[in-house]
Amino acid sequence: MSETPAAKPPEEPKGPGLCGQFLKDHGIATTRLPDSCGVETIEIDGAHLEAAMKLLRGSSEIKLDYLVAVSGVDSADTFDSVYQLWSYSNNNELIIKVRVKKTDVVEGQLPLVPSLSRFWSAANWHERETYDLVGIRYYGHPYLRRILNVWDWDGHPLRRDYKQLVDALNDKAPGSFR
Amino acid sequence: MAEGNVQGPSEVPDELKDTVTLTTLEKMIEAMGDLLSPVVSPIANAARSNSVWPLTFGTSCCAIEMMSVGMSKFDISRFGSEVFRATPRQADMIITAGTITRKMAPALITLYEQLPEPKYVIAMGACTVTGGMFNDSYSVVQGVDRIIPVDIYLPGCPPRPEGILDALLKLQQKIRTESYAERKKKKYRQNAVRYVDYDTGRPLEDLVDEARYETALALDPLKSLQESK
Repeated sequence: MSETPAAKPPEEPKGPGLCGQFLKDHGIATTRLPDSCGVETIEIDGAHLEAAMKLLRGSSEIKLDYLVAVSGVDSADTFDSVYQLWSYSNNNELIIKVRVKKTDVVEGQLPLVPSLSRFWSAANWHERETYDLVGIRYYGHPYLRRILNVWDWDGHPLRRDYKQLVDALNDKAPGSFR
Repeated sequence: MAEGNVQGPSEVPDELKDTVTLTTLEKMIEAMGDLLSPVVSPIANAARSNSVWPLTFGTSCCAIEMMSVGMSKFDISRFGSEVFRATPRQADMIITAGTITRKMAPALITLYEQLPEPKYVIAMGACTVTGGMFNDSYSVVQGVDRIIPVDIYLPGCPPRPEGILDALLKLQQKIRTESYAERKKKKYRQNAVRYVDYDTGRPLEDLVDEARYETALALDPLKSLQESK
């Protein structure tokens, strides 16, 4: 096993990007994060998410009118809800992250992020999937139920602390090589 | 009526003993069948093996190959299996084409149990043979033989249509070499290996054990406490 060199930390961004500046002009504070694959990435407070989304979607200059995906990440000390936006007219992309600190999450409850599905129906199933796999509760969602796993599933499989169920359907067969 | 004296392969399974009674005539027919088996079996088996109708069951990419083998280029109808039935009541065989997840497992078990006997299963593709690339997954059943009995294992990811034809030929060979006695065994209900719960995706036997344990705990907490110590 050769030792892999430590990954270079990503460069810190210079200042607010195109969309960050736009949101700043409209009175919504954002923090710029290191670009992800050359795409502008901003962090936003959950309380301002809906207003920011409406602005970005509705304005004629930015027009990020296609919600590509809503996903979730269980980071070391935060739960991230990640939104990927696309603009067909401007050929532009934006990634928005809403971060909930693990220390802020009430013991025995799920992290809370506001839902977009009230005004953006594309988010409906994506939020259900993120709830299912990462365990982020989107408040205001009309029907937040598991979408991939069975409805009475125990735990959220993409969590760091998830203990995988071992039973007769997936235990180690006596003759198996794994 | 002396049901208890029934011997050999034509014995009625225990769970059916209260509903099935073999009359003297049936026993005579069976004895005749045993006698004529060397003559009748090859003819009957040839007829059966050349009309194995599969169920339209595809859950992922293997289903594409299964569709391909039904089309004119590979043409599974040369072997008498062209009629993919859309209902298990009219089919003889399931080709489990694709990954079986815990959510799909109860549906597959239901379909298998709805097939009329004798029924056969071809486990097609790496996912249904061992779990394949979803090895050690939280949601994938690691091999379809954990829930239903399998006759032919067909590895590949996905296998080519020729592979399916080969598996079908092997199944036909199996049907052709069945004796009268072996066929008798399959006259009665063939059950799934284990059942999976629709709501939790867990084997029912585990849930039953859990419920039993919890009941015991509720009835006699002190005793359970001592046992755990």
